Amino acid sequence: MKSYDLTLHIYRYDPQKEKPWFQTYEVTAGPIMRFVDVLRMINDEQDPSLTWNSSCEHGQCGTCSMKINNKPMLACDLLVENAVEYFGTREFSIEPLQIAPVVRDLVIDTDVAYEKVDRVKPYIIDPLPPDPGGEEHQIDPDELDAYVDATRCINCFCCVSACISSHDTFLGPNALLASIVRVLDPREQEKEERLHDLYSENGVYRCHTSRACSHVCPKDIDVAHFIALAKKGFDTKRS
Amino acid sequence: MKITIDSTISCDVLIVGAGGAALRCAAEILENRPDAKVIALTKVTHPQKSHTATAQGGLAAVDPKDPTDSTVFHMFDTWKGSDCTADQNVVKRICESAWEQILWLENRGMHFSRNRDGRLSKRTFGGHTRNFGEASVYRAVFEADRTGKGIMDTGWGETLKKGITFMTQTIGVELLIDGGQCFGVVAFRQKEGRFVKIMAKTTVLATGGSGQVFRVTTNCRQNTGDGLALVLQSGLPVMDPEAVQFHPTGIVGPGILASETLRSVGGILRNCDNEPFMVNYAPKMKELAPRDLVARAIESEIREGRGIVNPDHDIAHVWIDLRHLPDEVHEKQIPEVSSFFKHYVNLDTKTDLCPVRPSNHYHMGGIPTTEFGEVQDARQQIVGGLFAAGECAAASFHGFNRLGTNSILELITMGQLIGQKVIDYMDAASDAQHDAEPHYTAEQFSGYFSSSGPESIGRLRARLRATMTEHVSVFRTEESISGALAVIEEIKEKRNQTALSCKETVMNQELLQRWELDNLLIISESIARAARYRKESRGAHFRDDFDTRSDEFNHHTLASMKDDGTFELGKRDIDMSVLAAGGEHSDKFDFIERKY
Repeated sequence: MKSYDLTLHIYRYDPQKEKPWFQTYEVTAGPIMRFVDVLRMINDEQDPSLTWNSSCEHGQCGTCSMKINNKPMLACDLLVENAVEYFGTREFSIEPLQIAPVVRDLVIDTDVAYEKVDRVKPYIIDPLPPDPGGEEHQIDPDELDAYVDATRCINCFCCVSACISSHDTFLGPNALLASIVRVLDPREQEKEERLHDLYSENGVYRCHTSRACSHVCPKDIDVAHFIALAKKGFDTKRS
Repeated sequence: MKITIDSTISCDVLIVGAGGAALRCAAEILENRPDAKVIALTKVTHPQKSHTATAQGGLAAVDPKDPTDSTVFHMFDTWKGSDCTADQNVVKRICESAWEQILWLENRGMHFSRNRDGRLSKRTFGGHTRNFGEASVYRAVFEADRTGKGIMDTGWGETLKKGITFMTQTIGVELLIDGGQCFGVVAFRQKEGRFVKIMAKTTVLATGGSGQVFRVTTNCRQNTGDGLALVLQSGLPVMDPEAVQFHPTGIVGPGILASETLRSVGGILRNCDNEPFMVNYAPKMKELAPRDLVARAIESEIREGRGIVNPDHDIAHVWIDLRHLPDEVHEKQIPEVSSFFKHYVNLDTKTDLCPVRPSNHYHMGGIPTTEFGEVQDARQQIVGGLFAAGECAAASFHGFNRLGTNSILELITMGQLIGQKVIDYMDAASDAQHDAEPHYTAEQFSGYFSSSGPESIGRLRARLRATMTEHVSVFRTEESISGALAVIEEIKEKRNQTALSCKETVMNQELLQRWELDNLLIISESIARAARYRKESRGAHFRDDFDTRSDEFNHHTLASMKDDGTFELGKRDIDMSVLAAGGEHSDKFDFIERKY
């Protein structure tokens, strides 16, 4: 089986020390090892103190997001042989997403990152009343299709990291997505408050249409498309 | 290092866990008691990252509008699927409340897949039939192949809306129990590196699965069975620990789940001769036979030499064939699962055969509870103020084998039922301030910091997991289990000869993994001891040396840990109340034969 000799420069931060530093690790890895497997191998064979987070390790939870050669991505989604081909190198820098304070090494304070998502109220504020006959609401599958892709967001924050509009009060692409889903969901009656926030000074007009969000989204969601939809005033075909 | 409790917090309800069951329970409480102070601890970075979010296939629920389906059919399928070991009072309660809970989710914004008429789409799933096994039935509602994510997002949104407090990257390390009553937990907050005491009128354990006990598992890194270890360390039992489900189709190598949906949409399992072999093991249901049957079928094909060996991993497997399915199915119904095959093994489900092999997936066993989620001790006395919900609990809904789409159903139904019971308990509880002192936290954690030696926590953990996958897996024998127990004993010794390279408490990953290793060892030992005791085959527990089900074992296993760390086994009766109630179809709820 083919193997790859890799050089990894990994960001380290110890809260007891003032400054972060980069630590270099040399590893030999199999072609379809994921980067989470490589980090685990470093822990088991070289340095148990290197701290990093993951959970599902198959692209569903968004915990293991980090910057690899400056690209925000899920470490579980990156196979060694694909990384070597895509980046054209066997040398990689690995850093935490710098969108919230770093707690240690590659682990950031995710609670801080979620504050903006919480602020847009990722739930139905004013639900359509339940059907009196005890049945489900009917939603046309074509209507659902218009926004279903946006519901696949796992809040990995890769888009937030890549976004060039880094004004710190901008709600950010994933928070906008959460709001847009509920503007389009026929079961949400509270449209006014949502539209007010979307078009506020922290909303869609801070987006500079770089499409960096769509470019990095590990779920292949066209985030920029939904933000553009909002900028157009949600002019979709609705029956 | 001196371990001290940094502070004490009080609340009405403390939930250890923030996944599907935890948040359905919390939402029920907060909807009915908006002023209740509810705290949910989660080990992961945010509730949305709970393992519930990775569940794929769907939720089984009998739709009252469906003239071909009936609640008693769902109850029967669950009873038979469990190999006649589920508790019938629980089965009845859950199946009857199922549709109402689907509507709860739908009304709160879950993005279920829809038919052309705008109503909830349905799919078939293994073991779900109409007319007591006559044919497959369309009983499961779903959100593409990410139903768990839908439940998780809806639960998180609703509890956020109603003012829950989340404590993230926080673990429960000791239950505070005094005089048969639980007063809360000692928790450790990883980001701050501090221990806190959380006093609560009621405590709900909802810590999820224990799949990390096995090397090849669909379970996330965090599923180390923490809730089970918590109760065992308090002298309380776990029930049916040997009842472990191996999902038939894990992607070869990492063991990532390739949903049963693949078979529900028409995928076919093939061996090295390209034969569709399931017809030999389950002539009627074939690919849609229950999981334990399919897992054993695949392992049998492999051990009889009809598997295929993967050159990268050097692991034998069989194929799942999806090539004949229309494009629309690949794109609309199985997009996430198809992406797994693409991302992790570079295969296209439309044109390639995909390699699969059984992977550990689910723990039917767990913390024994009543039909209302009240935790029981070894004599079946209720521990006041302590509840358990979801995968970590065993009420038991699934007995010795779980049907697909019944697990996430349990989260929303038992979550709601337990929420109601917690409200009753909370309303009746006095406002008197209790205090309780922890017994073992300080000693346990200072031990971690002070121990030294050449052993590696990571390597001991890897060895334990490999041992369980090799020796206590789909096919078990006295010899294989005893071999595993010997390795467990050895690792129990060697763990005391490890050293933490970092002596800080803030976000110390090694410290967490050292604690998790203790949990994995306790749970592995309970699984192995119970598997060795149960000299029969039942559901997912299969003994090559005792390969039939025996009436002698028509009971649940209880396993408790004594103060000296040794295990004691006991029994709990199976609830047969549906059979006992008599009437039409009650005879179907006897100890029946299990063929598909």
